[in-house]
Amino acid sequence: MSEVLNLQEKLVKEFALVEGALNGQAKTPVHAIRKQAMKRFAELGFPTIRHEEWKYTNIMPVVKNDYVLAPQSSTTLTKADIEPFLMPDVKANVLVFVNGAYAANLSTIISTKNVEILPLVEAFTKKTVIVEQHFAQIAAWQNDAMLALNTAFALNGAYIEIAKGAVVEEPFHLLFVNDSRAQSTFAPARNLIVVGANAEATIVESAHTLATGENVGFTNVVSEVVLADNARLHHYKIQNDVEQSHFIGALYAHQEATSVLNTVVVTLSGGIVRNNLSAVLAGKGADTHFYGLYLVNGKTLVDNHTLADHAVAHCTSNELYKGIMDDRSTGVFNGKIMVRADAQKTLAYQSNRNILMSPHATVNTKPQLEIFADDVKCSHGCTAGQLDDESVFYLRARGLDKEQAQALLLYAFAGEITEKIGLEPLRERLETIIAERLHQELV
Amino acid sequence: MLTITSLQASVEGKEILKGINLTIGKGEIHAIMGPNGSGKSTLASVLAGREDYDVTGGTVTFQGADLLEMSPENRAREGVFLAFQYPVEIPGVSNTNFLKAAVNEVRKHRGQEPMEPKAFLTMMREKMALVEMDQAMVSRSVNEGFSGGEKKRNEIFQMAMLEPKLSILDETDSGLDIDALKIVANGVNKLRSKETSTIVITHYQRLLDYIVPDFVHVLYKGRIVKSGGKELALELEAKGYDWIKDLAQEEVTA
Repeated sequence: MSEVLNLQEKLVKEFALVEGALNGQAKTPVHAIRKQAMKRFAELGFPTIRHEEWKYTNIMPVVKNDYVLAPQSSTTLTKADIEPFLMPDVKANVLVFVNGAYAANLSTIISTKNVEILPLVEAFTKKTVIVEQHFAQIAAWQNDAMLALNTAFALNGAYIEIAKGAVVEEPFHLLFVNDSRAQSTFAPARNLIVVGANAEATIVESAHTLATGENVGFTNVVSEVVLADNARLHHYKIQNDVEQSHFIGALYAHQEATSVLNTVVVTLSGGIVRNNLSAVLAGKGADTHFYGLYLVNGKTLVDNHTLADHAVAHCTSNELYKGIMDDRSTGVFNGKIMVRADAQKTLAYQSNRNILMSPHATVNTKPQLEIFADDVKCSHGCTAGQLDDESVFYLRARGLDKEQAQALLLYAFAGEITEKIGLEPLRERLETIIAERLHQELV
Repeated sequence: MLTITSLQASVEGKEILKGINLTIGKGEIHAIMGPNGSGKSTLASVLAGREDYDVTGGTVTFQGADLLEMSPENRAREGVFLAFQYPVEIPGVSNTNFLKAAVNEVRKHRGQEPMEPKAFLTMMREKMALVEMDQAMVSRSVNEGFSGGEKKRNEIFQMAMLEPKLSILDETDSGLDIDALKIVANGVNKLRSKETSTIVITHYQRLLDYIVPDFVHVLYKGRIVKSGGKELALELEAKGYDWIKDLAQEEVTA
């Protein structure tokens, strides 16, 4: 327990230091929220498995490490260092954050029309009205220690605003590099993404850790997303990080009428990975899609918590998460559909399907439905099992060996999620990685 | 081609095949008929290498080699093809990619290079015509959402693509309407050659109007109780299976 207090104490101390260095911002509403959030984090402390929301995910191995707190020192990373993390063959706006801090020298901005891109800390002063309207308003931090912590340290990260009616073709790649080569590092970041009415954009988020020896990187990225009427956002979160990394992050969306949110979360490797995803369907006809794939092995733990919150009538949510777990890996899925009293004519679907490849792999899956309206269509289901023997035999009876047959079936199982990625080069790259992982060159 | 000697097999400890003897020569079509539960599908499964079945006795020699020693995939590569009674739906795997993988595995086994994409497509088009499959069906996932008739046509299409030496059609006629039956039978007939052999497993004589067998065997309670020419099928159709049961009873008591 004393180790836990250590990181917590360290964070409280660090906050006081950062606060002391603030010039002129100390009295702003945003700063007031951050101070309250810090206070709240100090009260709550890091969550343990006694918390219902963290029952299957013990983050003691994450918080026990001796981290430096996002050192602000200028990075020595070069473009060559981050090259492997970029999407090949994609013309994208690449915003690179090293240990949370925006690295202008590593970033590439190509979209200039109808788009406002700023480090969040600059947006606090340049975009005060919008920031004060949304910051920490979508993500309710009051009873969530990890979110309170992120809110308190919300300085680094991106502010992206898409103007009304603009369709931005080039995706935004938010690339978070945790440089833990010198020392284990805790790197929080916070994004605010505002998509104007009738506007459309694509965001890719990925986190990558550079660690040597025993060092471990701990990355914490939270995004708040606002979709105005009829706005469309495609959000792809790709997690293919090293073993010596932990990631706890979240995306909180607020959707106005007839807006569409498409999210795909793909987790291929890492240490302990926790993703919270929540959308409030606040305007009639809003539509949200949650897709997830976790294909993990070794000792990776991946935990996805989702919430589709139907606040008004005539909204749709559709969710499919699929997992393939090998070795001693663990999957956790907790998907909640909330249908509030006013949300008549809601359509809400949820499914979680898992394949366990090893007797030592585990999955904990829990669908939750809370329905307070009476005229709705909701369904949920979850499965956990092995590959279908009859399918394997069918393929073998056509000449494929057992491993090929299994790989082909797993590839197809995963493909139902990857096909939801509209950004073709990204989808193809992921499919290649997955195919290689499944030791097959068939497709 | 295939010699089955005193083959015994059981599933979950229950003996199903109680000593099958059967010799199939090159270019021959053998029909295996029998009432439900007589062991017809078990015989097909054992020959294809389904793992739920335990072979408890006897031998199966395919082209001089011990078939029972081979893995299911090696049997397929050596030229044994099972047309499934219940073809499996495989969402996410396109027929084309699946067949490319299968055809190339068979070629690799024979020491041949993988097929050029263009040659493969030409071959596909040619074989599709045999069972009146269209491009849309071939582009879809394997059997996904296919009707019963489409699934059976797809089996024969796969058979055509893999060019097996011995084909085993396991109740390929079940669930087919007469038009689909004719298409399937027509495909099988066109693939007939002096070099290949076929085992047609069926409950009804109907399919044998279209695929005319050289020999008919009646399987009952795990044994072949009667063999004959194609006229035996007609006799069964006319008289039903009861006289076969009586026949088997006599044999046992004698």
